Amino acid sequence: MNRIEIEISDQRAEFSRTTSTAAVVDLEAAIARTCARIAPAWPLDRFIAVNPLWGMTNEPFFEVAAKLRSLSGARLLMPLAWYREQREEGRLRDEDLDEALRESRASCSRGELLSQLAEEDIVVPMRARMVDVADSNRDLTHQVSWPDFVRNSISQFCASYFDEAQSALRPSRAGGLYASWRREAIGDKSPRLLMGFRSHAQVARELPLTSEDMIRTALADLGVPPEQWDDYLASQLLDVNGWASWCAYRRWTARLKASDDDTIVDLLGVRIAWEWMLLRGGDSDVAARWKRALARWNDVDAKAHAAQSATRIFQRAVEIGWQREVIDTLPAGLAVPRPQEPAVQAVFCIDVRSEVFRRALEHQDSTVQTLGFAGFFGLPIAYQALGSSETRPQLPALLAASLRVTDTGIDPVVGERRVQDLTVSRAWSTLKSDAVSTFTFVESMGLTYAWQSLAAGFGGHANRKLDDNGLTGVVARGRKPRLAKLENGAALTLEARCELAAGVLRAMSLTHGFARIVLLVGHGSATRNNPHAAGLDCGACGGQSGEVNARAAAALLNEPAVRDGLKRRGISLPESTRFVPALHNTTTDDVELFDLDELPATHDSDLVALRQSLEAAGARTREERSLNLGLANLQGRRLHDAVRQRARDWAQVRPEWGLANNAALIVAPREHCRHLNLGGRSFLHDYRYEEDTEFKVLELIMTAPMVVTHWINFQYYASTVDNVRYGSGNKVLHNVVGRHIGVFEGNGGDLRIGLAMQSLHDGRRWMHTPLRLSVFIEAPRAAIDAVLRKHAHVHDLVTHGWLDLLQLDAAERAVFAYRDGRWVKREGRQGSGGQQPGSTAAVPGGAGRTAG
Amino acid sequence: MDVHTGWQTALGLTALGLPVLLALTAVLTARAAPFRYAAVAGPLGLALTAVVVAGTVLVGGTAALTVGVRLGTLTSVMLLLVATLALVILRYSRTYMDGDAGAHRYMRWLLATLSAVSVLVIANNLLVLALAWIATSLALHQLLTFYDRPAALLAAHKKFLASRMADVCLIAGLVLVQGAVGSLDLDAIETWASTHADLPVSIQIAAFLFAAAACIKSAQLPLHGWLTQVMEAPTPVSALLHAGIVNIGGFLMIRLAPLMANAPGAQLFLVIVGLTTTVLAAAIMTTRVSIKVSLAWSTCAQMGFMLVQCGLGAWHLALLHLVAHSLYKAHAFLSSGSVVEAWRIDSIAPGPERPSAGRFAAATVVAFLVVGLEWSVLGLLGEGSDFPTGVLALIVALSLAPMYSRGLASGARTAALVGLMGLAVSVAYFAWHALAAEMLSLPTPKVLPHLGWTITGLGFLTLFLVQANVQLHPEGRFTRVLHRWLFAGLYLDERFTRLTFRVWPPRLRDTATNPTPTPQLRQASA
Repeated sequence: MNRIEIEISDQRAEFSRTTSTAAVVDLEAAIARTCARIAPAWPLDRFIAVNPLWGMTNEPFFEVAAKLRSLSGARLLMPLAWYREQREEGRLRDEDLDEALRESRASCSRGELLSQLAEEDIVVPMRARMVDVADSNRDLTHQVSWPDFVRNSISQFCASYFDEAQSALRPSRAGGLYASWRREAIGDKSPRLLMGFRSHAQVARELPLTSEDMIRTALADLGVPPEQWDDYLASQLLDVNGWASWCAYRRWTARLKASDDDTIVDLLGVRIAWEWMLLRGGDSDVAARWKRALARWNDVDAKAHAAQSATRIFQRAVEIGWQREVIDTLPAGLAVPRPQEPAVQAVFCIDVRSEVFRRALEHQDSTVQTLGFAGFFGLPIAYQALGSSETRPQLPALLAASLRVTDTGIDPVVGERRVQDLTVSRAWSTLKSDAVSTFTFVESMGLTYAWQSLAAGFGGHANRKLDDNGLTGVVARGRKPRLAKLENGAALTLEARCELAAGVLRAMSLTHGFARIVLLVGHGSATRNNPHAAGLDCGACGGQSGEVNARAAAALLNEPAVRDGLKRRGISLPESTRFVPALHNTTTDDVELFDLDELPATHDSDLVALRQSLEAAGARTREERSLNLGLANLQGRRLHDAVRQRARDWAQVRPEWGLANNAALIVAPREHCRHLNLGGRSFLHDYRYEEDTEFKVLELIMTAPMVVTHWINFQYYASTVDNVRYGSGNKVLHNVVGRHIGVFEGNGGDLRIGLAMQSLHDGRRWMHTPLRLSVFIEAPRAAIDAVLRKHAHVHDLVTHGWLDLLQLDAAERAVFAYRDGRWVKREGRQGSGGQQPGSTAAVPGGAGRTAG
Repeated sequence: MDVHTGWQTALGLTALGLPVLLALTAVLTARAAPFRYAAVAGPLGLALTAVVVAGTVLVGGTAALTVGVRLGTLTSVMLLLVATLALVILRYSRTYMDGDAGAHRYMRWLLATLSAVSVLVIANNLLVLALAWIATSLALHQLLTFYDRPAALLAAHKKFLASRMADVCLIAGLVLVQGAVGSLDLDAIETWASTHADLPVSIQIAAFLFAAAACIKSAQLPLHGWLTQVMEAPTPVSALLHAGIVNIGGFLMIRLAPLMANAPGAQLFLVIVGLTTTVLAAAIMTTRVSIKVSLAWSTCAQMGFMLVQCGLGAWHLALLHLVAHSLYKAHAFLSSGSVVEAWRIDSIAPGPERPSAGRFAAATVVAFLVVGLEWSVLGLLGEGSDFPTGVLALIVALSLAPMYSRGLASGARTAALVGLMGLAVSVAYFAWHALAAEMLSLPTPKVLPHLGWTITGLGFLTLFLVQANVQLHPEGRFTRVLHRWLFAGLYLDERFTRLTFRVWPPRLRDTATNPTPTPQLRQASA
């Protein structure tokens, strides 16, 4: 579909190139399409997971993989050696290969495929850009390459342009990124001094005034044919993908606020300006070489395509193999009835780390029923901390905040004091960084840092929550985050609160059969000196701790007036049911309960039992996680101490494994998968389709949690298969840019997005197995079809191989897979039988172990 | 007397224990358990050092010994610094580098570097000191190129070239000293210097060469490029380099104080190079966009100021600056990942808007009043209301003014707290200065360096005016022009890099193992 559109527009472009406005319109469209291919990357203080290829999900995954190989050199499949290892360890079996072969409709046999497995990876070239052509006669063993120089130069400028905190002196932003860059480029001596670009000064003066003019001029002068515009422009942005992602983030947040941001077009202009300058500054020989290089592009594309023909089948086969294990064991639970009269219902975030804890809690206390729901508990809020004039979004990145939560229960004067104290401590820190005072500061305060370093290295002080800063312990414990008003300033009416509460309960499929205590468990991490700390916090809360959301949600659901309103809406909450907010610390697996002063004395004994269960479950969870943390030799209290110690160690680069090894999302009632040990590899979302009359909740799940889990899954996938382009490299080299924008690996280079190697690899083996997400949904196939028909971007994810959609059929106790618009029954490894529920069945490879 | 000498010999041998311990640990470090011995070496090293320092205090004197170890205040302070840094950095590396395939190689070179530095600190012989310095540089080179990334190789190459230039200066200086003094033992040189107030030309030249070596190895402009570009090595290596190695030039100057004090040419050279670097590097620092690079430019400036203090003969202040900066900068690098948390906290209460000229002027007046008052009190106490202290007081006042301008904006309570903070900082400043003067007394230059102090004051005044302009007019014309030049680092490093490419190009990549796909330029056959 897409392709046809492009061809038509290309013809128009060819026709109108010299004369009419059609070409202008056409170029605008090409620029818009190119910029739309770049996914946003959030800053470090809100470091949520994103599929870095989100802008390309309208094309099939393997097509995108081949295309990116050719345009940027990215590699979206593992090296053959990794697949060999999978084969040796039994995770790449014959029957899975056969299945993958059938799916791919490739003509080769399994034998031919396996013979390729023994070979070495094919070195595939990438499309040459002008920066590469400019290098062709240079000695790259002893000189800086043009691509490196250009990337670094753009990156340094962007950092300075966007910075708001690290530097005191910045370029003028007047006219936008391109105009600002252009002013600096004229008069920049480094291309001449470092690269010997003699005519740079002269060429720079001829740079067009706007980014669009720049792009048009460059495409014309470089002679890029219109049918190549999209790909060529994409190759330009992909060369500075980190900053392009930052610009895409600016655009994303602007658009959430019904505004827009075109900085990414300016960045495209800056990058292509370099291509143009190198052409203008080069001789006729350079121009001739450029022409020859351009003529090879299609050939390079074809090679990139051919190079992955076998690897993609291996990848698919490994995924099919893992799915089979689940298909073997999961259906056995489909007949398990809903638990009757549980003592406690504990609602956890869908996060894969919750699965381990929930399993431990269920094991500890069979009267506890656990549920999975997005950790922002359905509240689209922005949080305004005590005394603060600023707000912080605490909701999934797909949504704009519509409600405001503030701290209550504290005298406003305390808030004013807090801001004053924070202002004072900020003034203090300017002593360190200001040009003059830094000398005085060193001589007066420098010696005290001996003690600080020793203290941090030997023990470290206890972790402090972000929102406790500037508050005394008493105040911090006394503040109560509560829903205050609408984000636009209007009051939050009772009707609106009731609607909100009903929506939350329906979305978590919890509208009857309430226990005496319903625990709403948000989650957050505890790490020290970790630039990517927010990445370990709750993604559904915008990369923050989920405490605020859980507490606001629980208070809402405990409100008597709201409960009356719920009754009118058909949800009857017993008087004895109390919602209790909690926070699961995913680094230490401690669970902290809040607002217990509001819990009536009638619930005291419930609380005692619950606390014991949570503590025991925490201990059990830590023991399971200790295997992957190198702490397998410790138990009980000593393990607990060791884990807490890690959380406050300023040198710790692997405080926890986060969401590493995630592979599946299961949308079903918990009791249907409760018999499985999913090894912390599965997102779990509770859903009862029988109660979802119009399948509104299903639609919500497939358009929000399913997309978000796909984002997480693909952040891990892409960071693993190509850590250079989609990961942030070695954590020990990280160098924070602009205090929160992102990191450089080392001195400079492009802004780095994605996960560090230390978050994926323990030094000996990969801790994340790159598998595309398998989504299991227990709902009627027709209902799923209807959602797919309605939402094109979700349909694209499924049909283009960005995730694998499977349906759980309770009646048939079977699993169906969505293949080319049809549902196909899938067989497990052992045929259709399967284990009986009761004892916990482990999914092989489940216990956090992966290959490598 | 014999007992005394016996004690000193024992202390000297104990001091030798530190480099031996570190070197031995380096040798024992194995691939299988790269951190096993280092975990013991750190605390043990500090314990040994504590014994030496306590012993030195009890036994007293600055005698040189038959074992070639020089004891005394300077040695004690430096040894304590090195042992503390070793303990902190080794402990940090143990967790930080765990899982790295080359962890054992990293630990070995880290220990070797630390060992070489500790030899340098205790040596009583200039040749030993010079060789240890060269060994430090070579061992560090292995750490800087621990990951063979092109940018790492380029920066390390530049450092290699600069260091070898410094080595040439140093060795040439040694030859001249040997010729004139007849010995390279520091005690012999000291004795000789006390009887030769008028230095012969050869020693004047030697002093100049030593000063030049110190400037080069302290990353002074325009040969600073390597220091600001070595973020390509693990964070603890940056901490070690910035805290324990780049300042050795200053240490050498203090060691040679008896000689340097009588070499006004070399002293003036230090003041000029140091002050230029101080002012320019501090200004350039404010244009840097990433935390580690910003810290590196700060080091460059701080080393400049340390050399200025040497040039002015304020040896005790130079030592204070050296040690305090080391400890501060090691912590700043090791905790550089925390800036994001600081940003998150700052986001709760974003800073006040930019001050008006009036408020800034008022803040400056308050700062001068506060510091002026302290200066007067110092004068009453007889602690020096002399010209140098006056210049230092000026610097302190100029330091407090911008902070006060921020504090005055948010009400009386904030203003009071910030005011007190400024008072505390300045009191601590003068207190440390007084303590340093108590601990270290070295010959002051015979020419009273009023000129040097004056230009130092003027340098800081310039820096203050630049900063005030930027703070008050961030969008102004002057700020724009300034930004362009400072952001480019005045193109000083570009010129030096180009020169290295011409003279001795670095080997930046091994094309055979280069994993990045090569762009196809022409037919596959070509």
